[in-house]
Amino acid sequence: MSPRLNYIAVLLCALTCLSPSAIGRDLAAIQRVSVQPSAIEISGQDRQQQLVVTGIRVDGSQIDLTHVAAIKLLDPSLASVDAALLSGLQEGETQIRIEAGNSVATIPLRVSNFSNYPPIHFEGDVLPLFSKLGCNSGGCHGKQSGQNGFRLSVFGSDPRADFDALVREGRGRRVFPGAIERSLIYSKAVGISAHGGGQRMSADSQDAQLLREWIRQGMPWGSEQAARVAKITVQPRLRVMLPRSQQQLRVVATYSDGRTRDVTRAASYSSNEAVISDCDSRGIIQTGKVAGEAAITISYMGFVDVSRIVIPQPGATVPVRPSWFTSVNMIDDLVWNKWQQLRIAPSELCDDATFLRRVMVKTSGTLPGVEQVRTFTADSSPDKRAEVIERALASREFTNYWTQRWSDILMVNSKSIGGRGAYVFHQWIRQQIRTNRPYNEWVYDIIVASGNSGQVGPANFYRGQRTPEDVTRTISQAFLGIRMDCTQCHHHPFEKWGQDDFYGLAGYFNGMTRQKLDDNRDLIYHPGHKPISVPVVNRLVQTRPLDGVPTPADDRTDPRPELAKWVTSPKNPFFSRLVANRLWKHLMGRGLVEPEDDLRETNPPTNPELLNHLAETLKASDFDLKALMRHILSSHAFQLSSQSTGTNYSDDQTFSHYLVRRLPAEVMLDAICQVTGVPESYPGHPPGARAIELWDNQLPSYFLDTFGRSLRESPCECGSSGEPTMAQALHLLNAPEIEAKIQNDQGLVSVLSKSDDDVGELIEHIALVTVNRLPTARERKTGTRLLQNASRRQGLEDFLWVMMNSYDFLFVK
Amino acid sequence: MRMHSKTNRRDFIRMGSIAGLGMADIMRMQQLSAADNGDRSDVNCIFIFIVGGMPQQDMWDLKPDAPPEIRGDFRNISTNVPGIQISDVLPGCATVADRMAILRSLTHDDSDHGRGFHIMMSGKKPGAGDFNGNQNNNQHPCIGSMVSHLGRPSVLPPYISVPNFLNSGGPSFLGPSHGPFVIDADPAAPDFSVRDIALPADVATQRGRLRQQALQQINQFEQSAERIGRQVRSFDTFYNKAYNLMASREAREAFDIGREPEKIRDAYGMTSIGQCSLLARRMVEAGCRFVAVENGHWDTHRKNTYSLRDLLCPAFDQAIPALLNDLQDRGMLEKTLVVVTTEFGRTPRINDLAGRDHWPNAFSIVMAGGGVKGGQVIGATDKQAAEVTDRPISPEDMVATVLYALGIDHTKILHTPLGRPVPIADGGKVVHELFT
Repeated sequence: MSPRLNYIAVLLCALTCLSPSAIGRDLAAIQRVSVQPSAIEISGQDRQQQLVVTGIRVDGSQIDLTHVAAIKLLDPSLASVDAALLSGLQEGETQIRIEAGNSVATIPLRVSNFSNYPPIHFEGDVLPLFSKLGCNSGGCHGKQSGQNGFRLSVFGSDPRADFDALVREGRGRRVFPGAIERSLIYSKAVGISAHGGGQRMSADSQDAQLLREWIRQGMPWGSEQAARVAKITVQPRLRVMLPRSQQQLRVVATYSDGRTRDVTRAASYSSNEAVISDCDSRGIIQTGKVAGEAAITISYMGFVDVSRIVIPQPGATVPVRPSWFTSVNMIDDLVWNKWQQLRIAPSELCDDATFLRRVMVKTSGTLPGVEQVRTFTADSSPDKRAEVIERALASREFTNYWTQRWSDILMVNSKSIGGRGAYVFHQWIRQQIRTNRPYNEWVYDIIVASGNSGQVGPANFYRGQRTPEDVTRTISQAFLGIRMDCTQCHHHPFEKWGQDDFYGLAGYFNGMTRQKLDDNRDLIYHPGHKPISVPVVNRLVQTRPLDGVPTPADDRTDPRPELAKWVTSPKNPFFSRLVANRLWKHLMGRGLVEPEDDLRETNPPTNPELLNHLAETLKASDFDLKALMRHILSSHAFQLSSQSTGTNYSDDQTFSHYLVRRLPAEVMLDAICQVTGVPESYPGHPPGARAIELWDNQLPSYFLDTFGRSLRESPCECGSSGEPTMAQALHLLNAPEIEAKIQNDQGLVSVLSKSDDDVGELIEHIALVTVNRLPTARERKTGTRLLQNASRRQGLEDFLWVMMNSYDFLFVK
Repeated sequence: MRMHSKTNRRDFIRMGSIAGLGMADIMRMQQLSAADNGDRSDVNCIFIFIVGGMPQQDMWDLKPDAPPEIRGDFRNISTNVPGIQISDVLPGCATVADRMAILRSLTHDDSDHGRGFHIMMSGKKPGAGDFNGNQNNNQHPCIGSMVSHLGRPSVLPPYISVPNFLNSGGPSFLGPSHGPFVIDADPAAPDFSVRDIALPADVATQRGRLRQQALQQINQFEQSAERIGRQVRSFDTFYNKAYNLMASREAREAFDIGREPEKIRDAYGMTSIGQCSLLARRMVEAGCRFVAVENGHWDTHRKNTYSLRDLLCPAFDQAIPALLNDLQDRGMLEKTLVVVTTEFGRTPRINDLAGRDHWPNAFSIVMAGGGVKGGQVIGATDKQAAEVTDRPISPEDMVATVLYALGIDHTKILHTPLGRPVPIADGGKVVHELFT
């Protein structure tokens, strides 16, 4: 196909993919094209180069034209061009002409030191190929047992073992220099012989050439002096894109000797929001149809970089900031910036009744009472929302509820630490919450805890976490948002942390002792510091914080204070960001980072400036958690309606409307008791105790199990799932326990049926109790019908049942 | 032993390459052959878990020539299949051996109850943790949750467990939506009823209908007016499923074991395993895809002979043949896979308390129906039923086989919330010779 035809074909394809007007307008509006790199050098191992062609529009905005532009070599014999990827053919120099619309750019090309394939390094060249092709992934040859007898270390974490697996094992069938193409590693990968994993590369690819060359060179390990990758860099790092459009990435690895190499086709790509934009193995980003943000993680040889993609609302104009959306605090400006960038207009402010219910449930896990709703909605004071926030934050229910939330994260589990341990630990957490003690202080106390677990609450932390490895995983995830699980066994696939980092942390807990005092109590202490070894390979690792200074071994001192200082330091960005993100998620329905406790670099926040602001605010207040909550609750962002507008319907990321969430298990059970006026009774707890107050998470409760109370088996709130099940729906609809509460002779219905309220008043009362607002016209009509069709008592029971099953009751809006 | 469909596929690929077909053609054919068990998606499963450890050498794999301390007190009897013998404690099963495949070569290496339970319900050996508590402890989804996650939807919950939650029957990272619907009652109890599937009796049917109509009006109205979030929508899905269940007389009646004729109930036996098996059949008949039945107290560390002969096997030996016969009579056997499995077997040597202890090295399980060719024995053990001598079958293989029988791709890779790829059956291979 001639380049011209090629160009038309690509353009036609682009036209069918994009909307015709979009591409037409774009090409016409292109003022100039810019090409990266500005000169191409193909030499030695750097055998192919990815071009990125960017069109600059009149308004200065940019659009990717890489796969639209016509790319032509003056001397086509020097290199082939496929999807803007130049692969060397023979040595020489020429010019490349890049043409898009009316714009033309020309860059030089030089192919040198090419005819002889340079010496190949197994670890530097061959191993990345296995990662890229997925051979050594945990689902395939990388798993512990290997696959069909061929085992590689997961993600290439053990290059020597992989080298042996290829070159020395398999009775010489895996690599076969005598007939390269019959080597199993080659023939299976290109699909010549049957392979359970299918064809992984094509025979005419650079990857295949590399593998052939390595076998031809006699399967060398490579020179020990060979340069190693020092970093990788992606371009562009941030790009505003249209929905359903493409962007070519270009990834360059820089080696320890300063040499660079284009690794666009050798790197692996993954998206944190594939719906918004995804990236294929050629480094081409494809955006979806919805507006939003995504991060593409690029990894190569254990190094990572991120390219962020922003897709504004298609067809929408930049929103005009409504006059009511003033800046209560910085949060409002920072969310506004994001809406402006994405062209999303926020919903209206929510009404008073919605606000009251929302703020009460989110802070204190408790529904407002009837009188409270009436008073609040009738109040005309301009400060009334601020006052409600203060009252909620100061309430006893606030203390109970947040004690429960933190007990979930800290795994206060009577199954693993016993009843006494759970009670003492729970009481201790309650004390921290009640006095609003600075967060960094009480976390410090947990990390260094020692003593009699029957008296020292946080000492029980070390009864649930029994090995140095357990503690390491828990502390990293619970307080830093770093998931070290992967690094216990192999280098983290999307992070810079490896096994040495894991065991560097684990060293702080090595030797921790639990001396049994009696059936319910242990004496917890650290007898002195001894570094720990990586198991299997038995390599001793220096005890040190992540990226930190080693703590010298000293077998008479407890080293944990060193770690605790590092963890809770204001200089530790993870510490403040994680807790800020947790609180934001709890109050707003979604974390700025999701999952909320996975703060790795390659999982960036949807609004980094906002997360920074929250973390800085927290630090400025000396880790006053209540102050940060007040900051969030006061913002307009918290007080938006959950009802979407035209442009923000599909937005789940930027908080342009409030995110509707189901009442958590404990809160819902309490709400059912509160509404019906009939409490539960829990063994070992005083009469009238509420589910949010329970210190024992193992009390039998079909309701709490069905609605997903936290199992407290991992250091996150993920055990307390809001995920719906059929058993939940059936329980709400049919449970005899709930029906008994509705019909109870001391309950709400009984009281109301004896009152002299008329039907309208009864309906109003039930709506106020359940959904904490006046009834809608539909609810009045439905309620009237139910109440008129049956006896007063039965009608009340039926209407209460209906309201307790309505989404406005089950969800916080 | 050759694996038919896999061999075909591989042969085909090789032939394809020789014949000069393009790679794309071959890929396409691979996809086609991957779907070649798609017609099994109407097969359902009754998964009976014998908790405690089912003694292989007293039930399915007797060693009459072994010394008395190994042989035990039971003797082989002939079955209705010439050449297949099982224990004289299972005369009922002997009459349906033509429908059963006896797998005598199961093997794994964990003799802990909780961990063995996990291994045999999920195919995955768990890492550290407490596996003997009574809470969901799954580190890998159990087969029922896999079926719920990957199988077709149904009016009834796709995965039901009876008479209680099976300790290793949890969904793990697949999430609560794929946990079992637990029938938290024993259908052998006189007052048996399934919780929450209908309004309490005192709220009359007519009244219940009124309530539901009123509720649907309000919720529908809210939805159209507000276009509310995803969480509400997914909850709505389950509300609708609940309505469908409550509205479907067939489904609701399926839970009511009292509707079953006395004659049939008696045939299964008025025992826990009997009535659970019967209820499981009713569930499958009404469209459930996977029913897990638990039957406990098989941990015969003492008085093994007495326990088996007088307490455990009579109920078992009545229920299993009754189930297979009933399924056959109703024309359901071909589409219902019955698995009788356990954590592990029991020690070859009888201990000082006249019991047998835990033995995972070699043990037997039984499969029938769902395309399994009956009247066969797969695998063999040595002269003490201590080690596998032929055709070892791993728990992973068992999981792969059950998934295959239900038309579910057993090579599927699942992803944990951390993004870690987890092969569903961990490389387990289908025991293809089971199938006709």
